[in-house]
Amino acid sequence: MVSHVKRNVAISRFWWVLCIASLVGALLVLLSLFGFVFVRGIAAIRPDIFVTVTQGIAGGLANAIAGTMLLVTLAVVLVVPVGIGAAIWVTQFAPDRLRIVVRLSIDVLFGVPSIVVGYFLYVALVETAGWGFSLVAGSLALAIIMLPYVYRAADLAFSAVPRDLVEASVALGARPLTTFLRVAFPWALPGTLTGLLIGVGIALGETAPLIYTAGWSNYMPTLAPTHSPVGYLTYVVWTFINEPFKESHQLAYAAAFLLMIGIFVTNFVARAAVEYWASRTRSHA
Amino acid sequence: MREGGPERCTALVIFNEGNYMRKLTAVALAAVFALGSLAAARAATPILETGSSLLYPLMNIWVASYQAKNHGVQITTQSTGSGTGISQAIAGVAQIGASDAYMGDPQMRGHRMLNIPLAISAQQINYNLPGLNNVHLHLSGPVLAGIYMGRIKYWNDPQIKALNRPYAGRLPHRTIIPVHRTDGSGDTFIFSQYLSFTTPMWSHGPGYGTSISWPSVPTAVGANGNPGMVQACKATPYSIAYIGVSFINETNKAGLGYALLKNRAGRFLAPTASTIGSAAAAMYSKTPRDERISLVFAPGANSYPIINYEYAIVNPHQKSAQTREALVKFLSWVLDHNGGQQMHFLNAVHFLPLPGSIAKLSRTQIAQIH
Amino acid sequence: MASLTPTVGGSRARRAAVPFSQSPASGTLAGVLTSIAAGICLLLVVLMLLFLLWYTWPAIRYNGLSILSDITWNIGNQYGTGSSIHNGVAAEPGAEFGGLVFLVGTLLSALLAMVFAVPLALGVALTIVYRLPERLRLPTNALIELMAGIPSVVYGLWGTIVLVPWVGNHVAPFVTHHFGFIPFLGGDAGSGNGLFAAAIVLAIMVMPIMVATVRDVLLAQPKSIYEASMALGSTSWQAVTHAVLPSVRTGIVGAILVAFGRALGETMAVLMVAGNAINILPQNIFSPINTIAAVVVSQLESAVSDASGVAQRSLAELALVLFVISLAVNTIARVAIRGQDRSH
Repeated sequence: MVSHVKRNVAISRFWWVLCIASLVGALLVLLSLFGFVFVRGIAAIRPDIFVTVTQGIAGGLANAIAGTMLLVTLAVVLVVPVGIGAAIWVTQFAPDRLRIVVRLSIDVLFGVPSIVVGYFLYVALVETAGWGFSLVAGSLALAIIMLPYVYRAADLAFSAVPRDLVEASVALGARPLTTFLRVAFPWALPGTLTGLLIGVGIALGETAPLIYTAGWSNYMPTLAPTHSPVGYLTYVVWTFINEPFKESHQLAYAAAFLLMIGIFVTNFVARAAVEYWASRTRSHA
Repeated sequence: MREGGPERCTALVIFNEGNYMRKLTAVALAAVFALGSLAAARAATPILETGSSLLYPLMNIWVASYQAKNHGVQITTQSTGSGTGISQAIAGVAQIGASDAYMGDPQMRGHRMLNIPLAISAQQINYNLPGLNNVHLHLSGPVLAGIYMGRIKYWNDPQIKALNRPYAGRLPHRTIIPVHRTDGSGDTFIFSQYLSFTTPMWSHGPGYGTSISWPSVPTAVGANGNPGMVQACKATPYSIAYIGVSFINETNKAGLGYALLKNRAGRFLAPTASTIGSAAAAMYSKTPRDERISLVFAPGANSYPIINYEYAIVNPHQKSAQTREALVKFLSWVLDHNGGQQMHFLNAVHFLPLPGSIAKLSRTQIAQIH
Repeated sequence: MASLTPTVGGSRARRAAVPFSQSPASGTLAGVLTSIAAGICLLLVVLMLLFLLWYTWPAIRYNGLSILSDITWNIGNQYGTGSSIHNGVAAEPGAEFGGLVFLVGTLLSALLAMVFAVPLALGVALTIVYRLPERLRLPTNALIELMAGIPSVVYGLWGTIVLVPWVGNHVAPFVTHHFGFIPFLGGDAGSGNGLFAAAIVLAIMVMPIMVATVRDVLLAQPKSIYEASMALGSTSWQAVTHAVLPSVRTGIVGAILVAFGRALGETMAVLMVAGNAINILPQNIFSPINTIAAVVVSQLESAVSDASGVAQRSLAELALVLFVISLAVNTIARVAIRGQDRSH
């Protein structure tokens, strides 16, 4: 009996060691990745890459940095009214049946591989509408990819507004619009913001849908909405690592490093928003 | 009541912020589009050159030099593969589609495009054969076809040995890893033409094109662009690859070996200015007015077998006068012997300039851009 | 703890806040404006689906079932004469669009990635929930979620420079040499680019998603299940395997399926390490492969040079196939997770 128990304890310990080892293993892989990107990235960062543009396979990254920022900013401007608006409609106005249809369509959007989005816009806008590679086509692609993340976070956030809070406000005689703007909206804002930031993180790291919409440019992006291709950082990582030149490898590492920093920052802000949100929820409960 | 105070206060602030944000968004949107049209009106004329990765290094040198003196134009160069160059020129997305291949008849039927040669280029066969990279193996079309069809599996295959008697004992029993291009590529075009023109089994099988259906070889690896080919060949011992001469400096730096190829006369030659020039000279008089012709496997004892014209694929009908002017001016500069045809440009990538007669044909084609 | 990693079926919460539904004010400007936003979402999805169907229709007719069953991908002779006609659709001579290689590559790489990722993710999630001290949990969760946010190209970069040479120079020669007698492990060691490298990269990429979902499923489970089992004298491992895990089985299956769906559609990282195989099925675990998502990126450039246009449309048809597969996987995952939500 005692030996039986001992054996069970030993087995238990064995499996837990394996479990802990898998966590350590995962963190080691992460370390290898970070170490790789950071060591090579920092070595490749020179001050002048922020101010010079790409010349062929060398030069700087100013055009790609500005392009990535511009593409993502415009994508946010495009996705915010649509994604959050749709979530507000679904949680506040929609009849049951339509609510299901909108949510289903968003689920479908989650399943669309990003390259399909890029391809769709390439044929529809770049070729057929004759926009050429352009800022708007690229940003639209990013906006479509961000949409389900932004929508779902907003839907979740607005659905989670405590019912009693809303009912209390209505009972006190507040008009629905006032209730919504002063009670529901502030409550849902952090969650929505978190979703938006996750979307921004994803948009920052996208490559496939931009290749055929934003194109690529060696020059600083102009603000021309169409007919002017835009450079972006992920393109540099993907293409320049395949070049047999040392300078281009350096640029690829630098671009990867900058991307990681950008994603760290959005991730950090998103996490802070979650914590802020959680603490608010707790203070109400 | 006191408890509700701060909460309501926050709510009010956020509400106001929301309103403000919305206004800000609208203003920002309006500003983006206003500035956009402004920028579009005032900016230099953008010209997009995309396509051939073989021509790309030269394009970069040309554009840098041209841009230094011509500020009214912004030329973006892109190394995407000849297939993309052709199709984006047709689609009107790019003004110059760079291609190592001329367009086929089916494509020309649908879209009347100009195929304008800008320079003469060649291709080398590189390999990563540890211990033997400093010797130049002799290879022929049929042997290369055998390798890319999976019929010649090992480096010490009797057919390879037969062409390389001095090194026969040093050829290892290692699986050959053939590397091919995944993008639509003019290099694939001229390489597969060499195989087609020398090996009936290849011409009846995969044939030639910028993108062909590669035979099933278990170890075959695909790579993107000439740079990707150099990278893949360098990273993969016992591999073989076809790479444009503009990458000789890189293949040398990577320590890859290059082969002497068997020409029509049965001699094994390296790609040099002299052997490329002989092959080109044999083909000048045969070049038709639309300049769509293969220079591969040219006759002549001193002719290197894989050479080609580097083309600019251009739509003769340009919508905007501004773009047309900038385009014609740049292309004319490229063809000028005091401009892009100067030897210091071409030497850097081991290309040859167009002879006067061919440059004249190209200029006649440029005159058709309207 | 709220998760940053969105999971399928997350927004199924009950309809809690409905200030507008209690008044006729739903006809206000706000309602109209937001309904336009919702309409855009709907229209977008419908448009994209219709576009894909319309656009691929000639390819669907030309290819028939061979898009799923043939291994030859050949855009046809662009320099020849005549044409190849199937079902009234003309392509260049010799054109054949078989997607079996890409379909097999997609499924195999995603499945193999699951083989690597599932035990690892389960181990990590169990450790986080049952073994990690409270103060280590937050940073660990943050790191895992950071991992989920790393861009695909960065994984690809790491794969190209670190992983592929390691596989090609060490793992593959070792395994084929010593374990070659096991089917699918013998034969050519290859260059490192291939199924194995792709599966490893995919496993690392989807693991954080799986960890986050499994962790949330475990945390949603009443602690009493675990504690009751412990009180009955089982070891902590027995409590987990005999009491906790069986009760969250569907949730875990859902998490695996979500990760599987991600692995199926992953593009750039796979493209960079998979070896771009064409016209050949993998011979062993180290063979070069190709996936549907990767082939759409890498072959689009070639396909657009097909004068007949069928190559482009066939590529879009492949994208449609991928879309249908990932939709099916996601739907099953959602049903599984919802079943789990309902069961407690």
